[in-house]
Amino acid sequence: MEDFKHAMGLRDRYRFSKSGSIIKLSLILSLAVGIQSVAIAYPHNNATINKNKLANKAAITGKVVDETGVGLPGVSIKVKGTANGTVSDSKGVFAINAPDDAVLVFSFLGYESKEVAVAGKTSISVSLAPESKGLTEVVVTALGITKDQKKLGYSVSTVNGEQLNKAKESNVALSLQGRVAGLSVGGSNGGPGSSARVLLRGLTSFTASSPLYVINGVPMDNTQRGQSGEWGGADYGDGISNINPDDIESMTVLKGQSASALYGSRAVNGVILITTKSGKKNSPIGVEFNTNFQFDKAVDNTDYQQIYGQGIQGVKPNSLDAARNSGSLAWGSKMDGSDVIQIDGQTHKYSPVSNYIDFYRVAPSYTNTASFTGGNETGAFRLSASNLRANSMVPNSYLDRKTFNFNGSQQVTPKLNVNIVANYVIEDSKNRSGLSDGPGNPNNVQFLAPNQDQATLAPGVDPSGKELTFTDDSYVTNPYFAANNFISNVNRTRLISALSAKYDLTKWLYLQGRLGYDDSNDKRLNIEPTGTGYRNDNGAMNTSQTHINEFNADVLINGKHSLVEDLLSVDLTIGGNIRKSELTGTFINGQNGFIIPYFYSLTNFRSRDSGPQIDPAQKKQVNSAYYSADFSLKDYLVLSTTGRYDYYSTISKSVGPGIFSPSVSGSFIFSELKKMEGVDLGKVRLSFAQTSADALSYANTVYYSLNNSINGFPAAGFSSQLPNLFLKPFTLKELEAGLEMKFWGDRLGFDVTYFSRKTNNEIINGNLDWSTGYTNRYIGTGSTQNRGLEVEIHGTPVRTSDFSWTPSFNFTYVKNKILQTDGITNNNIGFGTFRPAASSGIAVTSLVVGLSGPQILATDYKRDASGNVVFDASGLPQRGDLKAMGSAIPKFYGGFNNSFNYKQINLGFLVDYRFGNKVLSGTENGSIFRGLNKLTLKGREGGVVGSGVTESGAANTVNVPAQTYYQALSRNVGAVSVLDGSFIKLRQVTLGYTFNSTFLKGTPFSSIGVAAVARNLWTIMKHTDNIDPESGFSADPRYAGIEGASLPFARTYGLNVNFKLKN
Amino acid sequence: MKKRYIFSFLVAGATLMASCSKNFEEINTQPDKTNGNLINPNFFMSQVQMTFSQTGYDQLLFQSMWTQSLASTFSYYSNGDKYVYGGGGTGYFNRTWNRGYSALTLVDEMKTLIKDKPEYANLDACGTILRAMFIQRITDLYGDVPYSQEGQAKNGIFEPVFDSQKDIYTAILTQLEQATAALDASKGTPTSDLFYGGNIVQWKRLGYSLMLKAAMRLTKVDAATARTYAEKAFIGGTMASIADNAKVMTDAAGNTSSNSDALLVPDDFREVRWGKTLIDFMQSSNDPRISAIAEITAANGRRANENRTLAGNNTAALQVGMPNGYTTSTIATATGYPGATPAADAEDAAAPLGKYSRPRLSVYPDRISANFIYSYGESELLLAEAASRGWATGVAATHYANALAADMATLSQYNTTGAATVSPAAIATYVAAHPLIATTALQQINMEYYVVTSTTFNFNETFANWRRSGFPVLTPVTFQGQFITGQVPRRMPYPTTLLQTNGPNYSAAVQRQGTDNFATRVYWDKQ
Repeated sequence: MEDFKHAMGLRDRYRFSKSGSIIKLSLILSLAVGIQSVAIAYPHNNATINKNKLANKAAITGKVVDETGVGLPGVSIKVKGTANGTVSDSKGVFAINAPDDAVLVFSFLGYESKEVAVAGKTSISVSLAPESKGLTEVVVTALGITKDQKKLGYSVSTVNGEQLNKAKESNVALSLQGRVAGLSVGGSNGGPGSSARVLLRGLTSFTASSPLYVINGVPMDNTQRGQSGEWGGADYGDGISNINPDDIESMTVLKGQSASALYGSRAVNGVILITTKSGKKNSPIGVEFNTNFQFDKAVDNTDYQQIYGQGIQGVKPNSLDAARNSGSLAWGSKMDGSDVIQIDGQTHKYSPVSNYIDFYRVAPSYTNTASFTGGNETGAFRLSASNLRANSMVPNSYLDRKTFNFNGSQQVTPKLNVNIVANYVIEDSKNRSGLSDGPGNPNNVQFLAPNQDQATLAPGVDPSGKELTFTDDSYVTNPYFAANNFISNVNRTRLISALSAKYDLTKWLYLQGRLGYDDSNDKRLNIEPTGTGYRNDNGAMNTSQTHINEFNADVLINGKHSLVEDLLSVDLTIGGNIRKSELTGTFINGQNGFIIPYFYSLTNFRSRDSGPQIDPAQKKQVNSAYYSADFSLKDYLVLSTTGRYDYYSTISKSVGPGIFSPSVSGSFIFSELKKMEGVDLGKVRLSFAQTSADALSYANTVYYSLNNSINGFPAAGFSSQLPNLFLKPFTLKELEAGLEMKFWGDRLGFDVTYFSRKTNNEIINGNLDWSTGYTNRYIGTGSTQNRGLEVEIHGTPVRTSDFSWTPSFNFTYVKNKILQTDGITNNNIGFGTFRPAASSGIAVTSLVVGLSGPQILATDYKRDASGNVVFDASGLPQRGDLKAMGSAIPKFYGGFNNSFNYKQINLGFLVDYRFGNKVLSGTENGSIFRGLNKLTLKGREGGVVGSGVTESGAANTVNVPAQTYYQALSRNVGAVSVLDGSFIKLRQVTLGYTFNSTFLKGTPFSSIGVAAVARNLWTIMKHTDNIDPESGFSADPRYAGIEGASLPFARTYGLNVNFKLKN
Repeated sequence: MKKRYIFSFLVAGATLMASCSKNFEEINTQPDKTNGNLINPNFFMSQVQMTFSQTGYDQLLFQSMWTQSLASTFSYYSNGDKYVYGGGGTGYFNRTWNRGYSALTLVDEMKTLIKDKPEYANLDACGTILRAMFIQRITDLYGDVPYSQEGQAKNGIFEPVFDSQKDIYTAILTQLEQATAALDASKGTPTSDLFYGGNIVQWKRLGYSLMLKAAMRLTKVDAATARTYAEKAFIGGTMASIADNAKVMTDAAGNTSSNSDALLVPDDFREVRWGKTLIDFMQSSNDPRISAIAEITAANGRRANENRTLAGNNTAALQVGMPNGYTTSTIATATGYPGATPAADAEDAAAPLGKYSRPRLSVYPDRISANFIYSYGESELLLAEAASRGWATGVAATHYANALAADMATLSQYNTTGAATVSPAAIATYVAAHPLIATTALQQINMEYYVVTSTTFNFNETFANWRRSGFPVLTPVTFQGQFITGQVPRRMPYPTTLLQTNGPNYSAAVQRQGTDNFATRVYWDKQ
């Protein structure tokens, strides 16, 4: 008799489950979580193995064949419950010793495993069937309703948590880059926890933003908490950046509007469903510990000239004052190794050092996550605790995030199931780096003259404590002073929770209620310290508290029933939702400087300014009702329709009560109708949907605000934004068609989708001239079109028992076109710009009718009728017309992901690419203005005579000193700052080894996985000389493709170790 | 059991629905703002006076240095000092425009709220006077600008036509005439008035003084109209003492002076100095105001120059104006360069501008100080000029003497500390020593206009009066890469954004007025 018992283990498990509910258990465990070491120390029960009873073994031989009868080599054959096993030979033949009553397990990658009882036989032949993934895959769709993927009439993609949590990004959304067709991901180089720009199917609308994130069926708040513009600022992260990647089971991307239409007016940017990990019923207590250590290393992407040093108009500094006025101007003389006075008051060699990158540190980050799972016959739970500490490359700056995640479900009665999910986040970020062109930004270190040793800027203060500035503009903060003295901290606590109950009325009908609550509190502190160069007092202090919450209550009833037996069935859902959201806040600022220097407290001011944070204040409620109905004709034709009605508090009654979002989709599985050789799945899809955008709060009434009183007299004003009583959100219509096929047991599969979407009546915040009384107005006349193609190809071209290669490739083409702005003059809609152009307008991103948005517009040289460059009387290039230079968002993009498995070794890498986008580079502009750019070498000796004509048409002969010429060039000709942003990058590499239980015999571990990980390892192709093409200071789509003075591009290397404890 | 669950579900659902859909309007009401029924329209007056008075960088960047009242070696000021773009360059064209129209918008809204409410008749008339004041500054700087269709986005006018400056001046004069006539001291008065605390008599005087100023702007182009309205204003009664000065005292709690805030940036106060043209003139007449307005750094070196708490040396004899057109590296080559002050110690750097006079720290960079808009002295100078031209506005010499005394006394109003007070004895001595002489009357009057508007940081007015009167005589700066060469700018180009926001009307205005640049003269600035 076979006798592998886990007696003690089983008894223990039952004792646990009988002694109390899952909730109680989790409470006990949560106490233990505080000390991570407890996780390791948790007592495990070694299985009791009776080694004396391995008797009655017999030799068994046989053959394994595939579905066509051909022998399968390399199939693993194991005696169930033992480590005893073998593999089939090249013809599929095998031999193994096994007891009479044993069960043999045949497994082979890509085929469904099979168990065969020996039952005294000595010859066993087995036929393995291909694993038909595509045929049985169940996916989560809108509202958390699971559906059979093959029946869907629209495109969805799922990314497993495993792909996101080995080589980690502190904002998990950034890990989606290159993984899903149709999804383009960008961000800001703002340090750990910065926001992500996630766009589905192009720039959906003028106000396109990230998709709606839905976590375990409940919408999550993704408010962007502030980011940089051309005038500087820091990136304070978005909502998704709080989520711990280790807790994510999968992310499902609902790309098309038909897929997301059940979210009604919030679906316009698409939806990403996040499913967090959960426990399984009837499973023993599992303990898992994951530790990840990574470090970011800054990459110097600049290729600046190394010939001319610091100085002005060809002269190197001759005094300390001159040195301090020209720290980032490389208009000096040829560097000759002579002694020259520098910013620190010392003499240094006038020789190139170009070591700005050394200002940035190699920044380590670590994540430790411990999780506990378990379940009995009526319930299951998972509890995890995680700590992330991500240091920024900027010294003295980090993100610290602790997350606690609980997921528990309990079958209260045979018909009632209750589920609770809670995700608690405590996040502290210290000194979020200033970005772009604003004060307090340490990244201006990137513009040092080539002979300037960045170390001469340290410690950033003179002996009196005053900031040591290094340019003639005190708003360009000394990087050491910015990093060590400025303070910009955020503390966030957040609870995302969901409570749901499901009651089975009958076998085919259930009722479900869900409550979701997402509540976050931010405390922000900003200090401009004593000694700040541009401040004339002892410094300033601003504090604010912001509270954001979103509450959702949802009730639905679902029934599945056949209308005509074996022919026509229906799956019907009807439900309602109430959503309340609110954003409020208060601020307190100290006034007129600290009284006592260096004492940074709100008490240290003569007076304080305080009040509500009026601008972000928002409150809205939406009541909704929805239905979804799927009609299936046998197994090959499915017709679905959904509809949702949203009744908004923010829409004026006079323009109607609400918005209806319908969708219709159909899928025809032709492979079910007629079986084809080698075809597992063949499906065509067609769908249509109309959704609309969210409506703004308070946008349809004139409001007056009370301002600070003036010497006791009350004062009032009002917004420069002209309200519009007739505001209604725009609509988006989308048609999608697709073909999905899978062959040979999923050895090869592809999914091709074409979509065409168009918006109508987009609300434009159009610019007005002040002389109209307002600077902006809302008008509902805009229209955007996106058409594109998404291709996903995946397969397993090589598959043996020990080795497999699983590549997948995705490709997206999106053609965006702005069809209409205000419909009358169709003026451009301004988006973003960079500081050199902030007021001169030489380069901006805009929505331009007829072109793809956001379009970079930049001034060309001034030219005459025959195209000659026209120089002014001083011989300087002048500002010409604004010209369209291309879109800031790529037209082609995608990724190529590969996974190789050899025995216990796994190698994965992701290459991603992007083509057809332009970058508006503040770095390029600044480097020309400052004489760092190689372009400025021409004419250093003897001056520049611009090739072109004068205003009168005669050839230009005026000789201009190089500095004067190139500074005029950067000031007048925006086009020189527009670069090609295409790239191909080796984005991620993971190399892992898993120690299995055989190896770990006698240890408390059931498995240990070790992986070396790296991100952004190699830029295979780029066209920008001085920057990384992905650089940016803001994740806002309006600032897409605009870069300058942000953190440098980083390579990340690390190690991920995962321990699973034995049960 | 089963029924109970279903019941609970339904009750919970129904309760939520019912409790939630009735108060939508309340939910969509901004909690921190109010509406037209509750707001007090008077509160707009204080805001608009403050807004309009805060000129700050608007004029510091351009007019203050075009008129050579100030000078700077700092790259940010090259727009004014050297006619070379610095900082945001063309992006600064809109500063006076935007400020002016945002102020006009507030007045318009105030006037809309009190329309047909007789109890607000005085507030309404004051609003009209303010509108005239505001549009004059805008049109003086740019020329043809929107006025008849200004501020009407609410009525659907998103691209207002540009009115000719001639028409705007006609409107200013007639509207001032009507508004001053409508003021009635027996009716309710403005309650939130930063100029005069609701004193209607003073408002009336301001109205007539503004009429006088608008009239006198037309001396080159339409002397007859100028005379008509100057005489009307004189009869109506212009400002009578420095108590009538139109000014706004700033407030350290959130409404500090934008002039002082600009000058308080260490870069700015280290590298902005009084101009040579102004200081030379004041030295030549032994003007006692020199010690009130100017000082050199008391200690050596750059650090001392960046120390705002270190009082300077205001001895009149030591005051030297800095010539325009130099950078920190080239200033040593300027004629009459007084030399740098040496570094105080090894950590310090030398201060190349240390011996040039700066606006006194205790006066101008004072966060609680007066933003002067229009002074009694200016009004008297305009009357003096009108009288000198033979118009019936009293005795020129008397007005001139009144003006000199008033202009010097006005400086005491600059700060609550009276830091810039000139002693009555010094004033009397100076006035006695500088009588108006008929043959040089226009020069004397307008040079004093130059001094008073410069010393009260009212450079918009300095610039306008220089263009009209030709005083002071300015030598244009020459420098590499100028946006205008061989002459001092005479106009501000339109905001660059107008092409996008109001293209057709912008083009029509340029067509009518001439190229949109720094050289084109506005209507009243006839060659």
